[in-house]
Amino acid sequence: MAGGLDVILQVCIWGLYAGCIYILLAIGLNLIFGVMKVVNFAHGELLMLGAYVTFTFYAISGFNPYVLLVASVPILILIGIAIERLCFRPILGTGKLNEIFISIGLIYLIQNAAAVIWTDEYRIIHSPFESITISVFGVNLPLDYLIIIITTILILIVLYLFLRKTRLGKAMRATSQNRKGAMLMGINVERMDMLSFGIGSGLAGAAGTLWVVSGQVFTPYMGSIPAVKAFAIVIIGGLGSIPGAIIGGLILGLAENFAIFTIGGAWKDAISFLILIAVLILRPTGLFGESAE
Amino acid sequence: MKKLFISPKHRDYAIIALLIVAALVPLIIGLNPYLLTVLILMLIFIIYSSAWNFLTYTGQGSLGHAAFFGLGGYGSALVATAFGLPPFMAVFIGSGVAALAGLFIGAICVRLKEWFLAMVTFGFAIIIQTLVVSRQLSSITGGWDGIAAVRLVGGGGTANLLIEYYAILAIGFLVIVLFWLILRSKTGLAFDAIRENELEARAAGINPVKYRLFAFLVSAYFSGVAGALEVHHLGYITPEIFGVDISFWPIVYSISGGLMTLAGPVVGTIAITIVWDNLQAFGLTYGRFIIIGLLLILIIIFLPKGLISLPARIREFQKKRKKSE
Repeated sequence: MAGGLDVILQVCIWGLYAGCIYILLAIGLNLIFGVMKVVNFAHGELLMLGAYVTFTFYAISGFNPYVLLVASVPILILIGIAIERLCFRPILGTGKLNEIFISIGLIYLIQNAAAVIWTDEYRIIHSPFESITISVFGVNLPLDYLIIIITTILILIVLYLFLRKTRLGKAMRATSQNRKGAMLMGINVERMDMLSFGIGSGLAGAAGTLWVVSGQVFTPYMGSIPAVKAFAIVIIGGLGSIPGAIIGGLILGLAENFAIFTIGGAWKDAISFLILIAVLILRPTGLFGESAE
Repeated sequence: MKKLFISPKHRDYAIIALLIVAALVPLIIGLNPYLLTVLILMLIFIIYSSAWNFLTYTGQGSLGHAAFFGLGGYGSALVATAFGLPPFMAVFIGSGVAALAGLFIGAICVRLKEWFLAMVTFGFAIIIQTLVVSRQLSSITGGWDGIAAVRLVGGGGTANLLIEYYAILAIGFLVIVLFWLILRSKTGLAFDAIRENELEARAAGINPVKYRLFAFLVSAYFSGVAGALEVHHLGYITPEIFGVDISFWPIVYSISGGLMTLAGPVVGTIAITIVWDNLQAFGLTYGRFIIIGLLLILIIIFLPKGLISLPARIREFQKKRKKSE
């Protein structure tokens, strides 16, 4: 292989692009954990639903799949709110194990409901920009990768502005910093739970759309691998930390793609796990995590 | 400890009755190879669920026990073939691989919060699968095709299945007795203390890391034993043994029976297996997974102590109704 600067740049862009989808998933998880202190292990299934919602609207309307973000995100927000109200709220505070295991039921439910609705065939959508590449510093990059990276950055900016500048966003951050204190200040924390779960699910839906437009195959059972990656990022970056999720996502995306390039594709998934183990041994609370309770 | 739903004396009778029923069941339902296979797999999953449930006594929950189930299977199949050991010996030696993996994951995770353990174990089974099918290891593990394993009792046929059934019944009984002995000892008390309040347990001189690691080791080892038994029963092993559903079954079984009880995984496995097999008879493929998922969610919300708390709940309900009358 020609190990020049152009190759390294190419791998970096691939890593960046792979990182984008993981970052969206991991930020959703962290947002939910920050406010509710629960981890939704069925988060990968929400990404899968986002992918299939995009697929369905694409099949019906034939729009440019990127535009379908306006369909997948709101629908997933509603699904997220429903999951929070029906499954997580009744058991909040009844013990960590219950909160973990309820998502197992959700995984069964969502995966197989999707298999009934859309069958378990492998599906793929071809983006209209599939064959277009643009040349940056002498490297040919698919246009789709660049659009995905830019879309993710835009989503993150909107999220940042929401959390920093709006009243609702501030209330959400207050709840995640101190739930009781927020309650005393007149914040409806249960509404914040709903909101954070909704936004987290919406981000997973966006990740699903981006997964589909990048030309990757999807099935009802695709959710677990991206979810495992998102968990790895959450652990690497620190549970509940949004900047940590971004850095962790970039580290993982880059490490994976360099691994594919040097030791082969089969080890791609193992690499993320090895990094995870290394971080857990060296810094058990993650790179940006708060110290343990 | 809270009041049991039956008195200790009755409990002993119940256990003896259950054993007698278990011993007679194959004779009652007829010596049908299909039903015997269902029963054998059910026994194997009782061992597996009990091993998984053992971990929850220390307040830990694993979402990836398929890793240990599968590693026990591979370990045992490889040991049996390489050294020509009888399968019943290989099962207990090969499961050492699962115990080692459990020690490795446990050593990293036992200091961490519950969330981390669940996330790491969730990933672990999937990662092990990718390693097993990777090009570098395929020569040993057979890649996606898997490898053949020596049959537990060679030959096949109804009579041999019956021997397998009784052998696994004996192993399962001994494993549960072993768990019972551990849990009623000082170690079991330490588990309770750590689960209820780690800080206070520490103050009382209990080292939570040591006990959690011990629980992880025991749980991983016996999950491996269950996996090895399944592999030798089926006669082959493929990487699909690391699948997500193999990780989730013991969770479904234990929760529906009752977490942190010895009877829970047993009752849960039997009840869910009956439901599952009947759903299969109706020809539902994805539908039955949806039903199991719904059932799990409903049980967690409305019956958090599982099916074994049902008699007590009914009695309570009747008492309340009487009072209101």
